[in-house]
Amino acid sequence: MNAIEFILSGMLAAATPFLLAALGELVVERAGVLNLGVEGLMAFGAVLAFIIVYHGGGHLLGFLVAGLGGAVLSLIFAFVALGFRANQVATGLAIGILGQGLSALFGKSYESLTVKGVPKFAFPWLSEIPVVGGLFIQDVVAWLSLAVTLAIWATFAYTKVGLVVRAVGENPKAAHAIGYSVILVRILAIAFGGAMAGFAGAYASVIYTPLWADGMIAGRGWIAIALVVFGTWLTGRIFLGACLFGAVSLTGLAAQATGLDVPSPLLSSLPYLVTIIVLGIISADRRLLKLNGVASLGEPFER
Amino acid sequence: MLTNLTRRTLMKGVAATGIAGALGGQSAIAADEPLGITLVIPSPVGDVGWGHALAAGLEPVKAAYGDRVKVTVLENIAEGPDADRIMNKTVADGNKFLVAGSFGYQNGALQIARRDPSVTVLHASGFQGAPNFSPFAAKYFQGTYLLGMAAASLSKTGKLGSVAAFAIPELITSINAFTLGAQTVNPKIEVAVVWVNSWFDPAKEQEAAKALMAQGCDVIFSNAQDTPSVIAACEEAGVYAFNLNSSMKKYAAKTYLGCVATDWSPFFKASVDAHFAGSFKGANTFLGVADKVVEVVDWNPDIPADMMTKIKEIEAKIADGSFSPFTGPIIKADGSEGVAAGTALADGEIVAMDWHVKGVTTPLPK
Repeated sequence: MNAIEFILSGMLAAATPFLLAALGELVVERAGVLNLGVEGLMAFGAVLAFIIVYHGGGHLLGFLVAGLGGAVLSLIFAFVALGFRANQVATGLAIGILGQGLSALFGKSYESLTVKGVPKFAFPWLSEIPVVGGLFIQDVVAWLSLAVTLAIWATFAYTKVGLVVRAVGENPKAAHAIGYSVILVRILAIAFGGAMAGFAGAYASVIYTPLWADGMIAGRGWIAIALVVFGTWLTGRIFLGACLFGAVSLTGLAAQATGLDVPSPLLSSLPYLVTIIVLGIISADRRLLKLNGVASLGEPFER
Repeated sequence: MLTNLTRRTLMKGVAATGIAGALGGQSAIAADEPLGITLVIPSPVGDVGWGHALAAGLEPVKAAYGDRVKVTVLENIAEGPDADRIMNKTVADGNKFLVAGSFGYQNGALQIARRDPSVTVLHASGFQGAPNFSPFAAKYFQGTYLLGMAAASLSKTGKLGSVAAFAIPELITSINAFTLGAQTVNPKIEVAVVWVNSWFDPAKEQEAAKALMAQGCDVIFSNAQDTPSVIAACEEAGVYAFNLNSSMKKYAAKTYLGCVATDWSPFFKASVDAHFAGSFKGANTFLGVADKVVEVVDWNPDIPADMMTKIKEIEAKIADGSFSPFTGPIIKADGSEGVAAGTALADGEIVAMDWHVKGVTTPLPK
């Protein structure tokens, strides 16, 4: 296996935690709410899934509990930010810190233990193509995250549910006037975002790096939030951004392993630089940015 | 009630400090008061890793002194102002023996030592000292040299790899000695290094291990990772791996090559003995195989028996001081002379090493 095969085969799995969390945050922000607690929600999901899998509950149950845990924790955010119209930035940060604290507490006696990952599923024929074949050998959650990306894109592009969520984010007063419950839509969006962050954390702790260590999310929740903004709230771009980020971070490691004479601190920062530059270029069109941006993002709704 | 208690404890701390200051000695605390020993570490105390090794090093001290010592471990203390505050608090509470378990605690811990001569401070991996303040570090390179010999004897591809945290001398010397040890078995062997530029990111560490394996590295050195991230990934791929500090054999039953274990207890015990005797003298302590602080354990049975015999011979020579891994001639990666033939690097030169030996294929970040 050479460096290119290594990057192609690992890219999607490396992108999956970012992708899942970013898609969740996309839905939340499209509904007009800014939840900055993703990092903590991921950590909370990660520890819950790890505990379930470690005690033999299986990966499916682990993911379900992680999603449920993320949703429940994010509902606390919804309660404070929507119910009391508290500042969303501050509330989101507080929930994030709470999630990280809870993960450290629950994970105390599981520190640096390991579990078994899941087998990979290979597409027949496609996976045997030289060089790019590795792209078609992935674990089931990585495949599912592709399906979820498509589903979210289709929901926003073609369905009434997608339109309602967007209406609530663009002009909540108008949405309210035509009879939609802004608060209810936002609560559901927040819960969905929390569940997705929980899944993303679970993927990190029981599939991608099947071990638990306090702080293992290591900033991935923040990158997910950044991907939503740099992807200008478009599903396809967020998917591309996540894959690009995954691919470039693997490239940095592969370049060092092959002995390329590039300073490693530069390689380590390359994923951030490249993602910002590429997404910056494609969002250079101000008109497009205004068109896609969420008009009432972060503003509490008052009747 | 709670306020009263806190205030009383605080008063006691202040009183003890006052008395100690007045007498100016280290054994000023009344004999019936147990000696409070506090260990401060930046990571959680897991089953393995750096923090675990430090905490385990205090166990024999507890066993030897029983009721006369009281050990407290403060974990997950981030380097910086928070650590300074917590260390000051624990000393103010009457704990007179502080083990500051991370490089970044240096300034705060040194201030405490300077302010209060009755306190003894041990500080990990630093370079500053005081009469009651000892920096300490382990000669990991003595162990990685031996594991390099073992790795080369098992490698089929002639390529070894290391997942390493940051390019600092402690890690560089470990990689260099690993390479030199491997070259005694196979002079053509190559070592690739991936610097992850993070002390703690299990996912990235695992990606780095996979990147090395993709390049054909079939023995991996997990250099300064506190979790079994690299070790577990190697077991899954059927690639030999080893690490530092504490054994991770249970995460890799088949492919665990060995562990450069650190046992800090002889050093901790001697320091506590000296504190009780009032004879503690701060000194720069660089401890290795001879001090029984560094020892390679859990050797993999796959290592050929004749190689194991050779390794044990070299280990004995390192222990009695008749051999150092950094004995010339050693050529640097850029082709210039690193160590002249017949001379060995002094400890001071080893702790400041900022170059790779020939055979390490990844350029060192500048």
